[in-house]
Amino acid sequence: MNAQLRQLLVSAGGIVGAILIWQFVATVPMAGGPLPPFSATFTELTQLLASGEFWSSLADTILISLLGLGSAAVIGVVLGILIGSFDPFRYATLAVLEFLKPIPPIVILPLVVLIYGPTTQMAWFLVFFGCVLPIIMQTVAGVHDADPVTLDTARSYGMGRTEVLARVTLPSAMPFIGTAMRVAAPAALVITVVAGLLGGGPGLGRSIYQAQAGGDYPSLYAYVLVLGMLGLIFQGVSRLAERRTLHWHASYREVLPA
Amino acid sequence: MNRKAVNWSLGVGAPLLLVALWWTLSSTSTNTFFPPLSIILERFQALWLFDHFTSDVLLSLRNLLLGYALATVIGVGLGFIIALVPVARWVLDPLIHFFRGIPPVALVPIFISLIGFGVEMRLLSITLAALFPTLIATVDGIRSVDSGLKDVSAVYRLTRREKMVQVYLPAAGPHIASGMQVSLQVAFIVMIASEMLGSSQGIGAMTLLAQQSFMISDMWAGILLLGIIGFAANLLFEIIKNKVLAWYVGSKRLARTA
Repeated sequence: MNAQLRQLLVSAGGIVGAILIWQFVATVPMAGGPLPPFSATFTELTQLLASGEFWSSLADTILISLLGLGSAAVIGVVLGILIGSFDPFRYATLAVLEFLKPIPPIVILPLVVLIYGPTTQMAWFLVFFGCVLPIIMQTVAGVHDADPVTLDTARSYGMGRTEVLARVTLPSAMPFIGTAMRVAAPAALVITVVAGLLGGGPGLGRSIYQAQAGGDYPSLYAYVLVLGMLGLIFQGVSRLAERRTLHWHASYREVLPA
Repeated sequence: MNRKAVNWSLGVGAPLLLVALWWTLSSTSTNTFFPPLSIILERFQALWLFDHFTSDVLLSLRNLLLGYALATVIGVGLGFIIALVPVARWVLDPLIHFFRGIPPVALVPIFISLIGFGVEMRLLSITLAALFPTLIATVDGIRSVDSGLKDVSAVYRLTRREKMVQVYLPAAGPHIASGMQVSLQVAFIVMIASEMLGSSQGIGAMTLLAQQSFMISDMWAGILLLGIIGFAANLLFEIIKNKVLAWYVGSKRLARTA
């Protein structure tokens, strides 16, 4: 038996083992308690997959995450280029951005819910707020990372400001923006869930809240399982998209063994 | 005036100007959502200094610190085991990646259903949610330890313990530190979320209760305090990190100038 196959078998054994332990704990020591057996959760999951309500809240969750992420990307990159290109802007915004960056969107959630109510706009704004700051700061860092020799070369070829921006500054800032986007995509999903769970916004977060408040434990666990898979998909897709769109950049090229 | 002085005054002046603007624009505000800053500060002092200081502020901070400390110790320890014992890695890797996909806040309803709304629930939620970033970063850090270092420590016949403490831990230090920084953010978010979901104690609960009972200035005071804690926690972490990893920061600077 080769090593790779054995590794795969052990990994599969780990998953099966975890499920068996879950089933055992839920049916023997904690029978009738708040922990539903895996079998019940799985049945609930298959029923969820057949219901239209589930798919519409899944669609809401994905839509809000992408709306927030997209608007944060556009505005973040534009602001980042502005701040990165003009020193006075950079110094004026430095302290404010540094202060706001470590503050998670959940802090302003009560205010945003108060203004917008439990709506799509509320969730969208929270996602936007949570994603835009890191994108701005990474874009600024990327703009500053542009090679000065290349910039001088471009200028000596007689390129104008916009041409330098489009051909030198922006391409060299791309990996920074790409990294920011890869980190922001799963974060957007998390914030959408938070907005639903704590703010009553549409989507899977609200479904989880309702399941917990109603004591419907199998569907609570089923929703969390779905979110785990959705989170993995978001991470995987954003990593793939980053590699696909930035394959031309030096830091992403694969080094061939000599 | 030289350029440096202009930049400095911009950096200090812009935030001050923003606060001054907030103060004057809101001073005659009749908008319910945006009360005058003076009233917010009054409520801030009345609530947090020191009426609810021990009952809520200290309680929240203690949960945050304790949960975070537990998460880092378990995360680093488990990370070492998973990185160095292949069987453990094969068994646990898929499970860890699945748990990583779940938005941390979505775990809070599960803990509420299992052990109720008490302090234990909040502590456990914070610990488990903050565990994964540190754990995954530790595994990555140890697996990327330079093979030359491993060979040297083998040649010098270092004991297992010496290898762990004197070779692997420092070599993986920068990775672990960045994982711990993410963990701190997650711990902070889950601290707030666990208080907002049906607890009556803590800064998060007070803030959400103020919002629900339409005491807008109290809500603003809560948001302000949470913002300050989020910022201060991150700042403190940066300071400690730069102290502990001074050798790494210095070597990176050297590499850049070379």
